[in-house]
Amino acid sequence: MMSHMLKWINERWPLDAVIRATLEEDIVGGSRYVYTLGSAVFIVFVLQAASGVMQLFFYVPTVDHAYDSISFLRTRVPFGWLIHGLHYWGANIMVVLVVLHMARVFIWGAYKKPRELTWLMGVTLLLTTMVFSFTGAPLHWDQRGYWAGEVGTSIAGTAPVVGDLIKRFLRGGQEMGQLTLSRFFAVHTMILPASLAALFGIHITAMRRFGSVGPWNETGRSTSGPFWPDQVYKDAVSGTLVLFLLIGLAVFLPPSYSGKADVLDTSYVPKPEWNFLFLYQALKYFQGVLEPVGTVGVPTLLVLLMIILPFVDRNPQRDPFKRPIAMLCGLLFAGAIGGLTIIGYLSPGVAEAPVISVGKTSGQAQPAGTAVTDREEGARRGSQVFKSSGCSGCHRAGGEGGTIGPELSATTLSARDRQWLIDQIRTPKSHFPNTIMPPYSGLSGQEVSDLVDYLLGLAGTASASPAAPSQAPEEAPPAKSAAGESRDTQFIQERLPGPAAYVIGSAGHGEELFRRNCSSCHGPGGTGGVRNPGSEEGTVPSLHPIDSELFSAEAQQFAENIDKYIQHGSSPAGSGPALSMPAFGDTHSLTQQEIAGIEAYVLRLNGVDRGQLVNPGMAPRKFFVLAAVLYAVLFLVQGGLRLRKDIP
Amino acid sequence: MQRRGFLKWLVSCLAVINGLILGIPFIGTLLSSAATRGKAAWSRVGAVDRLPLGVPVEVRFQSSGTEAYFHRSDLNSVWIIMHSRGDATVFSPVCTHLGCHFTWNQQHGRFECPCHASVFALDGTVLYGPAPRRLDTLPAKIEKGVLYVEYERFQVGTPEKKVI
Repeated sequence: MMSHMLKWINERWPLDAVIRATLEEDIVGGSRYVYTLGSAVFIVFVLQAASGVMQLFFYVPTVDHAYDSISFLRTRVPFGWLIHGLHYWGANIMVVLVVLHMARVFIWGAYKKPRELTWLMGVTLLLTTMVFSFTGAPLHWDQRGYWAGEVGTSIAGTAPVVGDLIKRFLRGGQEMGQLTLSRFFAVHTMILPASLAALFGIHITAMRRFGSVGPWNETGRSTSGPFWPDQVYKDAVSGTLVLFLLIGLAVFLPPSYSGKADVLDTSYVPKPEWNFLFLYQALKYFQGVLEPVGTVGVPTLLVLLMIILPFVDRNPQRDPFKRPIAMLCGLLFAGAIGGLTIIGYLSPGVAEAPVISVGKTSGQAQPAGTAVTDREEGARRGSQVFKSSGCSGCHRAGGEGGTIGPELSATTLSARDRQWLIDQIRTPKSHFPNTIMPPYSGLSGQEVSDLVDYLLGLAGTASASPAAPSQAPEEAPPAKSAAGESRDTQFIQERLPGPAAYVIGSAGHGEELFRRNCSSCHGPGGTGGVRNPGSEEGTVPSLHPIDSELFSAEAQQFAENIDKYIQHGSSPAGSGPALSMPAFGDTHSLTQQEIAGIEAYVLRLNGVDRGQLVNPGMAPRKFFVLAAVLYAVLFLVQGGLRLRKDIP
Repeated sequence: MQRRGFLKWLVSCLAVINGLILGIPFIGTLLSSAATRGKAAWSRVGAVDRLPLGVPVEVRFQSSGTEAYFHRSDLNSVWIIMHSRGDATVFSPVCTHLGCHFTWNQQHGRFECPCHASVFALDGTVLYGPAPRRLDTLPAKIEKGVLYVEYERFQVGTPEKKVI
């Protein structure tokens, strides 16, 4: 039956001839594992195509939905974590394998005449793989991908003469936006796969034309072995190892969430993917008019060196021990790129510029005599500002207040002058770079001046004497009734969560945002304990552990619960709380992306992963064990068969 | 010219013309900027009478804008340095080097870009790093204590400031 069908097909299409042409090849010196690198690249490419198409069933290429559609795929689609994880790690491994394959070809001297075209196609394949990597990251429209795209396209824009045209072509306009995403999408999912497949075809045909280059010494070349099944078997083994490695990476090192793209979040430090770090680092050495040398010259030079290699090195000798100059150049080339990559990886990413002394600017903050009126009157008003602005939540002064910050008394204040205090209130980091005290840039000049009058007054009085400011509590804001307060809290709970509750933020980056925006009241790491005079509880609620009514083991529910408070703020129950939760979302003091990051961090503090798998299909670790068991069983069975049938 | 040669010539001509008829519009599509922005309108940033004098403050404000087929209100940010109650310098938050957003380092009294370590003085001049020009100022006006800006974007990476 089968042979009938094959005969029927062969009469109409040259199936046997094609199979023979594909599999029948003699390999000089026999099959080897070191030759499997090239086919491993091809296997990973097929895997990328498969996992990429799978992602297309869920991915939406718009700036509004790209990030969330991938989050959805990863957390709520059965085996979505596997599909995305394989694609993410496959992309990284593919670059590694291409580079290893090229290194192998270089050491074996396989680029030499008559295999120049095979080498050139290989260089093109490397470049295409890099472009794949570059166009893939922004499709996520997360912080990492957005900034890689922004900086990458800007770099292209620095090319002389045609730079602007190239940049506009890449972005679909002057700025990064929807049209950029659409372009990257079309290139990444249509143009590049087609190009890469065509290049593979040319590369493999060119390779087959002259066959495998084989060992470099004559004795090794005297024997030969067949491609099928000897080399194919080794290719299958190394391909399987790569697949197993990728599954392991997808299971144990799932790609982190870097948060939805957010141009306003200046606390995010963009840094390129590892395979572009060498360019990123090289760019730092070329500045000013030399910049295009770094952005365009260096990459062009590297590519040119690879292209001219087979035409410059025309020595037919292939033994690496007998061509020291070529090997030394290769080592230098690899060492320079590797070294730059490591330096780039270790560099903190933030400005490393030397400190140049510029006149301290804060001195201009208050031109003399602007706001100072009557010092005593000011101090009286200042004591109210001290309470209403939340200073007393952290600082003990005049016998009351919190303990998170230093006590403000004659002892601690006497060495400080007016300007120092103004600077401290406006920009606390100017004196203490690591302080958790938030900058009070929202206070008016008058309020700051009053506050300073009050503090200077404290400096002049003995710390034990609660003299002047003690009258303040009676003048505190009119106490609201307890019923009114609980209605307020009720109101918050009825309000809806904002968009941030449905975005998976970056917990790692959220930690930094939390430190900047939240820890001054909720305590470092959300541990609470910050005094809140006038509130029923007396302290700001701890977030670690968090109120059990807000907690939920389900990440989505948990995020919605806390989101209402971050979006709309809330006022704690009590006669006149000194501190209340600002409406970070409603006032736009934080973007939705930033809020999503902070929420992911608060969830993590309480042991809940914001990127928690809701519908994994199968638990990743279980899947890994199952795969490992299958491979192990096959390994044992084939080992047994080998022994029994005496197969070498 | 023989018939065969003539037919070869004709096939080439048809191929070239067909290629041009489709190729030129297609390439034109990809090279043109479909996402051209209109002239930036005055956006209300907010009351500035509470801002400190002489110290840069980053202020966020909402303005509506059109980007491709999305029309929506976006959050933008600017750096404001108040010289007096009625006079302010407003910087675009975008580094002139490669378009990252810079921050203010109070300790050293300078703007720093986290991407490639460009450093700018309070007045926007380049102190260090790869930035090709000073920080971009935005057109701004203060009316009755409220600051308005024209939120423009500028070409990055070039020595001259050019609105895009």
